[in-house]
Amino acid sequence: MSGLPDLSLKLGRLVLKNPVMPASGTFGYGQEYEQFVDLNQLGAVITKTITPKPHLGSFPHRLTEVPSGSLATIGLQNVGIDRFIEDKLPYFEGLQVPLIISIGAETVEDYVDVTKKVDLQKRINGIELNVSCPNVKKGGIHFGVDLEVIRELVTCLRQTTDKTLIIKLSPMVADIRPFAEICQQCGADGITLINAPVGMAIDIETRRSRLGRNITGGLTGPAIRPLAVRWVWWVARTVDIPILGVGGITGAEDALEFIIAGASAVEIGTYNFVDPEALLKTMEGIRTYMARHHVRTLKELIKSLEVS
Amino acid sequence: MERRYEILRNQHISQNYFKITLPVTHSPLPIPGQFYQVRCSVGTDPLLRRPFSVHRLLQKGSSHLMEILYRVAGKGTEWLSKREKGGSLDILGPFGNGFLIQEGMDPIVLVSRGIGIAPLYAVGEEALKGKKGRKIIILMGTRLRERIFYEEECKKIGEVYLYTDDGSRGFHGRAPDLLCHLLERKRLPERFSLFACGPAQMLKELADLSERFGFEGQVAMEDRMGCGFGACLSCACPLKPEKITTNFQWKKPALQWSEEGDQVYSLICKDGPVYDVKEVDWNEWIA
Repeated sequence: MSGLPDLSLKLGRLVLKNPVMPASGTFGYGQEYEQFVDLNQLGAVITKTITPKPHLGSFPHRLTEVPSGSLATIGLQNVGIDRFIEDKLPYFEGLQVPLIISIGAETVEDYVDVTKKVDLQKRINGIELNVSCPNVKKGGIHFGVDLEVIRELVTCLRQTTDKTLIIKLSPMVADIRPFAEICQQCGADGITLINAPVGMAIDIETRRSRLGRNITGGLTGPAIRPLAVRWVWWVARTVDIPILGVGGITGAEDALEFIIAGASAVEIGTYNFVDPEALLKTMEGIRTYMARHHVRTLKELIKSLEVS
Repeated sequence: MERRYEILRNQHISQNYFKITLPVTHSPLPIPGQFYQVRCSVGTDPLLRRPFSVHRLLQKGSSHLMEILYRVAGKGTEWLSKREKGGSLDILGPFGNGFLIQEGMDPIVLVSRGIGIAPLYAVGEEALKGKKGRKIIILMGTRLRERIFYEEECKKIGEVYLYTDDGSRGFHGRAPDLLCHLLERKRLPERFSLFACGPAQMLKELADLSERFGFEGQVAMEDRMGCGFGACLSCACPLKPEKITTNFQWKKPALQWSEEGDQVYSLICKDGPVYDVKEVDWNEWIA
């Protein structure tokens, strides 16, 4: 075999030079990691979720630790799309790394408005849609648990932008596959699996939630990895568009599980906090694995699970 | 990025208190109030790094040593307490804003409870380095006499007032009660600078006293942290919009305003952990 393994992949109109990127909500607006990582080496940067207006976020005491995981509720704290474009985006003008913006909103119209603003920004290469936001027109039920709402949302956004459009789906449904199918039918370029399942932890001495007034939070970290890998495997047999696998990845071995199960790319989340260089190490580890197994392209590995 | 620190010593102080000594081989040098994020496992349980404040910074020839004073409170610190001399730790930092120790601050009153003395000791030593003869007054204590620790060390840098909740040693009451007692009896000068670290309720009551008696103060806040460097937004600390304090050292780059502009959250890791006692929205923090 000659040359280095090819790790590149296509995500809608976007070509990524490698399949490793941070998970939304664990990488701030990107610049927070410049002290640790050369961002240009990443497959892409995915920002925290940006909403139409600034969001204060959840009450204080937002995080607690559980076995091999973190339970946290940030409540979409962010500066809002206008200030993001004004204050945070210019930083990326000096970088080449593809930039994917996670967006969230409370109505379909607001999602469309944010997408229109994003569409005007050349430096933004793609959108990851956070559908784990409360839909105010449906009594606060999350967009991500209603098939018809997802159909309407993805259809509208597809009509609004030609940029790469990825939908990050919630595991808080009985079956993710119908949601993934609808995303594909409506023109999504990819699906991210999985957003954090909701959990709880209680301090038995005070009989209060460990997340204070917030009570519940999203469970992330290695604790959810087997759950995520299984969803990737199921959904990969249902849709043809690329899947971005996420959930408890700490290194190349974990990432390869997702890829073999059917993911075309992987996102690292909570583990960035533990090891801010985990993204780069994971990328190198995947390369080493491919060389060791004489795999030339990532494609040969994706969905290569043996089930006989 | 190299971030291993060799363990020079990991000493059991008393009860469940330990002190670890490390060479500061990476720049910049920490200032009192700043913290480091220490990996406290080799696997994924516990998963997240643990924040520890700088307890002492010592100069040894041309190099520097740092001490971290800690209490074993869970799996992470339990693991840390078992590390031995010659081993190494995976550490990120220093992070956050340190205490502002200025020339005119004299006397300095340090108010702590339990392990809260850890970063305040650094304030005391730094203040003495900056101005010899500066008066340091330390209010320290805990629930009951058996839990008192670090008394002798504190006596080396200042005048110590002890308190216990049950009155079994020193003043009968908690730190704010003791401070109030001293102020009402004019046993403290009218002007002084307070530095405090301890439970939220104690800090809130000190804030109330600061308003009542008109003294200035700085507090070190703590909360669970995901990252320590402003990425996860877990350690949100509510501030009073009209009281936000910024200066050459406290830049507060991570403030998050509400849409209406009437509420503001800071991040303890980036905008803190040291705050002016007047700027924290204590009711929102404790609610």
